[in-house]
Amino acid sequence: MMVRLLRRAAVSLVVLTGVLLIGFLMLQVIPADPAVAIAGPQGTEAEIEAIRRHLGLDQPLIVQFLYYLQRVLSGDMGHSVINNASVSAELLRAIGPTVELMCAAMLWAVPTALALGILAALRRGGIIDRMVMTLAVMGVSIPVFWVGLLMIQFAVRTRAFPIQGRGGPLWTLDGLSHIALPATALGLILIGPIARMTRTTLSDALHADHVRTARAKGASETRVVLNHALRTAILPVITLIGLQIGSLMGGAVVTETIFSWPGVGRLAVGAIIAGDYPMAQGAIIFLASAFIIVNVAVDLLNELADPRLGART
Amino acid sequence: MSDTLTLPRRPRRLPPRLRRNPMAALALGLLLAIALAAIFAPLLTSFDPYETALRQRLQGPGNGHLLGTDSQGRDMLTRLLYGARTTLMIGCAGTAFGALLGGSIGLCAAFYRKLDGVLMRLVDVLLSFPSILFGLSLAAILGPGLDSLILAVGLSVMPGIARISRGAALSVMTQDYIESGRAIGLPDHRLLTRYLLANAYPPILTYTTLAFGDAILLAATLGFLGLGLQPPTAELGGIAAEGRAFLFIAPHVSTAASLLIFAIVLSFNLLGDALRDAGDRRAQ
Repeated sequence: MMVRLLRRAAVSLVVLTGVLLIGFLMLQVIPADPAVAIAGPQGTEAEIEAIRRHLGLDQPLIVQFLYYLQRVLSGDMGHSVINNASVSAELLRAIGPTVELMCAAMLWAVPTALALGILAALRRGGIIDRMVMTLAVMGVSIPVFWVGLLMIQFAVRTRAFPIQGRGGPLWTLDGLSHIALPATALGLILIGPIARMTRTTLSDALHADHVRTARAKGASETRVVLNHALRTAILPVITLIGLQIGSLMGGAVVTETIFSWPGVGRLAVGAIIAGDYPMAQGAIIFLASAFIIVNVAVDLLNELADPRLGART
Repeated sequence: MSDTLTLPRRPRRLPPRLRRNPMAALALGLLLAIALAAIFAPLLTSFDPYETALRQRLQGPGNGHLLGTDSQGRDMLTRLLYGARTTLMIGCAGTAFGALLGGSIGLCAAFYRKLDGVLMRLVDVLLSFPSILFGLSLAAILGPGLDSLILAVGLSVMPGIARISRGAALSVMTQDYIESGRAIGLPDHRLLTRYLLANAYPPILTYTTLAFGDAILLAATLGFLGLGLQPPTAELGGIAAEGRAFLFIAPHVSTAASLLIFAIVLSFNLLGDALRDAGDRRAQ
């Protein structure tokens, strides 16, 4: 188990380096001189020269990459070419809203999807099952931006929810009403895959030997389903939830853009369109690294949760 | 013995299976109709997708324009037909690129066992990687446009295709003819193409077709975000984004484009489910 984890961590480290290399490349291919870009529109000739020396732009690329790594690891990601704001500071401000949005989406979507999956598995072939399966395939096919646009139209017609930006803290009505639409739109991405996986694993588990034994012992149906069948069925579902973090993050980029949610995704899209390379670089390597780290964490949790995985190696 | 030596040249025929699944047949029909309409767009409409007529802007359906007009007074149906053309083309090019790359990686991993561990671990990491990040990174490096879009779509479908190809190639590798080919001293590239690929390709082809739905969804989403082709190019995601500014005066613009994307992706997914079910039944 240790070997597996270490190997996994080593691969992640390689990929992480790859991500940073891409971030580095983003700054290399800027049509303009990076030193000019970082100095900003007001930079003087002397400042540019100083930055060039400071960045080691006269050194070979590999040395420059090492410098870049050193800077990024110490939290310095450069400055926006648009308003000279510190990329790290902007990122720090955007992380909170993004995490908040993703958590809010999971908070409603995961229990809903589990409930739908359980209902579908219990009445396989029934009306609920068919509805769940239809919803599942529609959910993965519908463009997230369309869901967002439909919600905005609905919200404006009914005047029920604000359609833009982030409100106060989440425990206030203002905060809740602002996050309601983006979190609903984002959560919909998760419903299909999770409900489907729960349905499949649970209906398999319902035919397993230990569940038949529990039934034979006279346990109530609720107890059989929730305590015996679901217990074994839930592990692959947890793995899947971990795997869905990627699509959740992708969805967050779109939802944030549509609802003007001040998160990392909107920051990245805005920066790319505005040609703000340092900001785009910072936001993208942040998103990619966060994804890789969360994935390793999910893997670790999986190993801890499933004793069989440990026994295999 | 003779039947192990004949190389299966064609994937199994699917229509009889699809006939048993009306939804999948409907999906296939819809896809064919959309594809044909997109290919023959110039014959189906007399309007120009780029000619603006500001006096007729944002008209609802009817009045000489079957689906109304957009913010520049261009015929919506024409924009959609040409948009579907662009989007499908990006999907095709991207998927083809991803299939080439993923297929090569998968075959090499199965053929050169020493590379297997490294290649597949990288593929595994990329497999769940948010595909939008590929789009964001490439748009940042190359600038938003056709090449970054196609590369992003290719990279996003690549890991899945690599996995499938490796699996298919591994089972072919156990066949005697690979051993025979080696024994008569064939060079690696010949073994890889004429022996391995020629026998492992049916499942790769099936999976690649299915990856198309995701490819279209990604291309349209990047287009919507403004990271794809720039206006006035007719592209479905871009049309949906253009309509966003007039959501309350003329909701038909973004709705029609989004609905068309949804129809295409949904059809591919329904078709994919049907094929997977057919595969499962065969496995049993």
